Parts: sequence; structure tokens; C-alpha cells
Amino acid sequence: MSYLELKDVSVSFGPASNRTEVLSNLNLKVEENEFVAVIGFSGAGKSTLMSLLAGLQEPTNGEVLFKGKPIKGPGPDLGIMFQNYSLLPWLSVNDNVKLAVNKVFPELSKKEVDEKIHNYVEMVRLDHAGDKKPHELSGGMRQRASLARTLSLDPEVLLLDEPLSALDALTRSELQDQILNIWERDKRTVVMITNDVDEAVLMADRIVPLTMGPKATLADEFIVNMERPRDRHTLNDHPEFMRLKAEITRFMMNLNKEAKSLAKPVNTSMPDIAPKDFTVPSGRPQFSRNFKISASPSTPS
Amino acid sequence: MKILSSIKYPLLKAIDISGLTFLSPVVRLCYGEEPSVQLKKIGQWIIIPVAAMLLFIFAWNAGSGLIKTKAGTLPTPGETADALGSINTFADREDLKKEAYNLTGEERLAALAVAEAQLASITPKVQETTDAVAQAKSEHEKSIAVVVEPLEKNYDELKEKFSQAQDKRKQELESVSETLVIGDKASYTKFLDLVKANESQTDAEKTELSSLKAAISDARNDKSKKVALALSMQTKVAEEKQFLEKQIEQLTKRNRSIMVESAETNISTTTEELYQLTGADAYKKARSIAKDESRLEKTIESKYAQPATLWYQVRRSILCVFTGFIIGAGIAIPIGILCGLNSTFMAAMTPFIAIFKPVSPIVWLPIALIIVGGFIPDPENNAVIQWLWKAPLIDIYKINPAFIASAITVALCSLWATLANTALGVASIDKDHMNVARVLKLGFWSRLFKIVIPSALPLIFAGLRISLGVGWMVLIAAELLSSSEGIGKFVWDQFNNGASDSFAKMMVVVFVVGFVGLILDRIMIVFQRLVSFEGSKAAI
Repeated sequence: MSYLELKDVSVSFGPASNRTEVLSNLNLKVEENEFVAVIGFSGAGKSTLMSLLAGLQEPTNGEVLFKGKPIKGPGPDLGIMFQNYSLLPWLSVNDNVKLAVNKVFPELSKKEVDEKIHNYVEMVRLDHAGDKKPHELSGGMRQRASLARTLSLDPEVLLLDEPLSALDALTRSELQDQILNIWERDKRTVVMITNDVDEAVLMADRIVPLTMGPKATLADEFIVNMERPRDRHTLNDHPEFMRLKAEITRFMMNLNKEAKSLAKPVNTSMPDIAPKDFTVPSGRPQFSRNFKISASPSTPS
Repeated sequence: MKILSSIKYPLLKAIDISGLTFLSPVVRLCYGEEPSVQLKKIGQWIIIPVAAMLLFIFAWNAGSGLIKTKAGTLPTPGETADALGSINTFADREDLKKEAYNLTGEERLAALAVAEAQLASITPKVQETTDAVAQAKSEHEKSIAVVVEPLEKNYDELKEKFSQAQDKRKQELESVSETLVIGDKASYTKFLDLVKANESQTDAEKTELSSLKAAISDARNDKSKKVALALSMQTKVAEEKQFLEKQIEQLTKRNRSIMVESAETNISTTTEELYQLTGADAYKKARSIAKDESRLEKTIESKYAQPATLWYQVRRSILCVFTGFIIGAGIAIPIGILCGLNSTFMAAMTPFIAIFKPVSPIVWLPIALIIVGGFIPDPENNAVIQWLWKAPLIDIYKINPAFIASAITVALCSLWATLANTALGVASIDKDHMNVARVLKLGFWSRLFKIVIPSALPLIFAGLRISLGVGWMVLIAAELLSSSEGIGKFVWDQFNNGASDSFAKMMVVVFVVGFVGLILDRIMIVFQRLVSFEGSKAAI
């Protein structure tokens, strides 16, 4: 029995006459204390998948099991961190966290609650901005406040819905490290959705690609066999990292091609630009310029 | 210097929250921030509005003489300002009389001396002003006579002349009629033409006479500014004299302490008399003492029966509008929240909202008056009303059924904006925020108070702001009809009064109502801004 499990899950929208199946036949098993990354293109239905896991949405068919029992609805056990922060704009950062703490730990005294809030806010290094309202914060700070609130629920499963997608590269890597630190310190089960291959390989134990929608489904997983802690500075030269990244990227690219070939051709005049050749020596597969592979050696043609 | 610079941004923020944004360039200019930009803004948002106001006052002054009514011409700005002054004088004098009623001992004597000295100094003025009026009137009559006499002479002459000419023409026509021959149509036609010509001639003469008569009556009715001035001076002095006499009365025989004192001596003498009596006489005496004692108690507790001044009426109107507004909000917010939460309930409420929303206050008021009158047939013996008359702070406003009916009318007319905005605010809660509530597994009440209401609060306050504005407009009409002591009643009293400055006093009320409405709106803006957050929705 797995800790968190999707069993033949599918989700459809719309009336019976014109039904669109968004997710089709999903199967996923997440073990306890595992870090799983789901990777997919925009619009593939990643957020719907996350809503399923959090219990915010019920599957049309199949079932979602948590500790062997079907999920009845959302709750603090399944701590979801929303893609668009979802901080309550009329409350300060501390009060946003307090709302969660008060709910999950109703028996704590006022002092203990304050300590706990301070603890979580400090964990994401926002203690200097605890009294600020969300609109006074930058995107990265809001994202961290949201993380602090989710962590304060003390959830058994941490569901991260593209937690870092809205951030600039520097803030992003800083937050990646913070999430990893927190995960490594008190082990938890994490499911993270992302569209960044580097991020997935850096952080996850296992990477599950989501195919292109509609009728998106989960493809075969990639196991990340790399020792922790992973050092982002040396990672780019790590052979396993390079292999995995190339493999996943190729897989995703093929998905993209497949989807494009299925789509109807659109007659749009395109500028005549030749792509730069990113051919990697020793017969490695080709990369699209959609993906930044800064450290990979490339030879100009 | 440091304090000065540290309050700059709090000051600017306070200005922004209160909505007095026209002040922010002044503050910025004081801090020397981009003077040219600030001066331009001051020009646009302070100097131009002030200039527009001055232009309006100028146009009003020039145009008011053109609107002639039975109650005189439209009051000019100056007359309106004078009316405001007389309203204030009345209010001040009433305060002084009230004070006089309550004064005791040395203070009373001192005030009495002052009032008597003032009365002595003003008494000769009464005769002076009366003489001045008589003189102005006789001068004016003389100047009228100079104009009127030649006109009248002319009129008499013309009248005589015309009547002679008419007689003569009549005789001529009669003689022509004698010569008519039956069968000769031409002679008849000629005769008819002659008669017609005569008639039109007579009409023309009549018109000339009547226009002359109109000129005479115009000249007679010509109002002299000197006479008006003398009359107003006379009225002013007479009013002051009357006031001083009244004040002296309040300081002497109508003074509370004096009345109490005399009643006490009266009681003690009658008590002495009682000790000398037995039988039926003793019973009679004892009863009269008992009555006197209860009357004395009432006198001790009594207050000066102050007539309503405009400022008292303004305060009472504000109390009334807030009473109605709170009743309305108390109905509208819970129903609005239920409507926003539950579409079935919304569907059930829609017909009521649609039908009752456009109903005019003029319809609600009589209904409210009847219903309130049904519950409170006799305010003097109603426990709630009696309690309200003794309650601290509001006792002076004598809350009566008319007040309650006016407040209910305000509530019924003003609650719709709050209801609609609350329903919208609750219904359009961000789905993410609801998801947060679901993840936290908040119960109904904490979901309501921690997510739903804070999220809808900016729109609720936007609705409340509209409601208060509507309520203020409705209230004046309601008071006018229900004779509830307030601004509306003031207007109605002035309309029925017909004194020389009644019209000007009504013009004062226009500005008073506008100014109070502006302040109420500003207060609501401040509240609305305080509860607003980034990305909150605007009002509908």
C-alpha cells in the first residue's frame, strides 16, 4: 500500500454532449517521505492534478487514496501551496500564518502560537516583514509567505503547485534550497509540480512527466539516483544529472512534437530565423532552444 | 526639522485616506518637492475650483433679481449670508435664555445687571428706529408723489377726453342708423364697418388708459431701499429688545431658583397655617400642600423649554439618518451575505428587491407613520419612548413616533445599495481564498468571519456609503412630511412662515444640507479606504 495513490483517475469537464477529458487514466504511487516531481507543459492539467491530490476536486472516475483511504475533501494533512500565493490580502504575513496555526493547533496558548508563527516565518526568512500586508511584498516574498503558511499546517504531504514559477532565477534557486533544507530537516512526503527540468532533477527523487492535454496522462517515471545533498554548483557537471536532463528533455520534446503534429496547421507567416545549433558532441540528442542548458558544452556549427 | 520630515509621508497618507487629495500638493510644496509641478496641481485643484465658486456667486448675485416671486426676488448671496447670521443670532439668544433660566445666586444677579444695562441702552434706539422708518416712508411717499401726480393728472385728462369722444361717436353712429333703408345691403355694410371701427377705437383707448394705470401703480409700489433698510434696522432692534426682556424674565420671575424659592416659602407658610387647623379645613390645606410639593419637585427637575434652532435640528437630523442607516444596514448586510452565499436564497429575494427598491420615500413614510403610530399610540405613556426621553445624550432630542417613522423610511430607502453590494462582494470572493478556507477546514462561522466578510468588506462599505447618501436625501423629505423636528421641518416652517427672510433661510438650508452630506460621505470614504486592500473591487 502506498502513502498517496492515484488509481485510474480521470477528470472531465463540460456537459455530457461536449465532454472534454482533461486527465485520463492517471496512476501514481507516492511513498512516504518521498519527493516526487510532476513535470509537464502549460495547460496539460497540472493544477487539476494538484487539486485532485489536495482533495479540492473530485475525480470523475477512479479514486485518490491517502494512506489507503479515499480522500474525502481538503484538509490540513494535505498541505497545498497554491500557484498564485492565495494569501489573504487583508491580513499581514504573520496573521496569514496565524490563521493556519490557530486552526491546526487550537490548544496552544497565545504565546506558543506567536512562537510558532515566528518559527515558520523565520524558516522562510521573512521575519523582517511579518507585519507587512501581501501587497507590500515582492513576488518572491509572497511565495515564501505562502510556503510558511503551508508549512505551519504541519502537513503530512506537502503539495507544491509550481511554487517557483513566478520568480526570477536568483530568488528561485534560493527558494529551491530553502524547500530542500526544510524537506531534509524534517522528512515529509512532497509532490511538486513544475515545468522546469533542472528544478525537477535537482530536487526530486522521482520525476513523472505529464503528457500533453487533452487526455493528459502520466508517462513512465524517471528515477533520480543522485546522492543528497545535491550541490547546484557542481551539479551541471554531474554525469547522472546530464543524462537525466537530456533524457527528460528529449522525452518532453517528443511529446511536444507529437502534440503539434496532432494539432491543426495554422497559417501564420513566421520570421525567417534559423535556430542556433546546439548539437552536443559524442552523439548526444539535440536540444531545442526552448531549454536553457547553460553549462552544457556546445559547438557552433 | 527631523520630526517635520518624518511626518511628511504619514501626513500624505492621511490625506489620501481621507480623500482630501487636493491638499497633497500643498503639503508637497511646503516640503519643497518639485515646486513647479505642485504649483500646477494647486492651480488646477484649488485655484480653479475657488474661481468657479466665485463665478457662481457672482452669477447668482446678478441673476437673483430676475426671479421675481410672491415672496420677493430670489435671495442674493448677501441676503443668504445675512439669513445665516440671523439663524445664528437666534440660536445664541436661545442659549443665553437657557443659561439665564439655570443661573442662581450671585451669578444670576450679575447677569441680570448686564441684561438690564443692555436693555436700558437699547430702549432709546427703538424710538429712533421707529422715527427713522416713519421718516424714510414719508420721504419715499413724497418721491413717489412727484412721479405719480403728473401721471394721475394725465390719466384723468385722458379719461375725460376719451369718454367725451366715445359719446360723440356713439351719437354719430346712432344718427347714421336712423338713415338705414331696409333692402339696401350696401348701406348696412357701410354701417357695420363704421361700428367695427368705433369698437376698435374704443379698445385702443382702453388699452392706453390701462397701461397708464399700470405705470401709476408701479410707481406707487416702487420699493425704496432706504425704507427696507430702516425697517430691517427697526426689526433688529425690536427683536433685541424683546430678547433682553425675555432674558430678564428668565433671570427673575421665570428663573428656576427663584421659582423654587418662592414655592418653598409658599409651602412653609401654608404648613404653618396647617398647624392651626383641624377637621375638613386641615384636610384641604394638607392636600394643597401635597400638590404644591409635587409641583415643586417638577420645577426642580425642569429644564428650559428651548425652541428648536437650526443647529439643533441639524443634529437631530444626523441622529435620525444614522438611526435609519443602522437599521437599514442591520437588515441589508445579513440578507446580502445570505444572498451572496446561497443562490437559491438570492433567487427567492430577487422579486422583493426588484419591487421594493424603486418605491419612493413619500410612499413609505405614511405607511411607517401609521404602523409606528399603531405601536405607540400615546408616546407620553409608552415605556420605550419615556426611556428614550430620559436616556443620556439623546434625551434632548425627544425621540417621538415621527422620528422613528422617518428613520424607518430612511432605512427602507437606503438599504438596497448595501444589500446589492454585499451580495456582490460575497458572491465574488476569490476562489483561491475559498480554497484556503477549505484546506484549513474552517467551519461555517469562522469561514464567514475570517474569509467571507473581510473579503467582501470593501464592497459592503462602498454600499454603505451610497446608502448613507441616499438616506440623507430621503430624510429631509421625510422630515418635511412627518413634521419630525429636523432640517426638513425647518424648511417646511420657513415655507409656511413667509417672513421677509424665510426665502433666504431656505437658501441657507441648501448649503447646510449639502455640507453635512459632504461630511457624511467623506467619513464613509475614510472607512471604505481603511477596509480596502490591494485588488479589492469597486462599488456598483
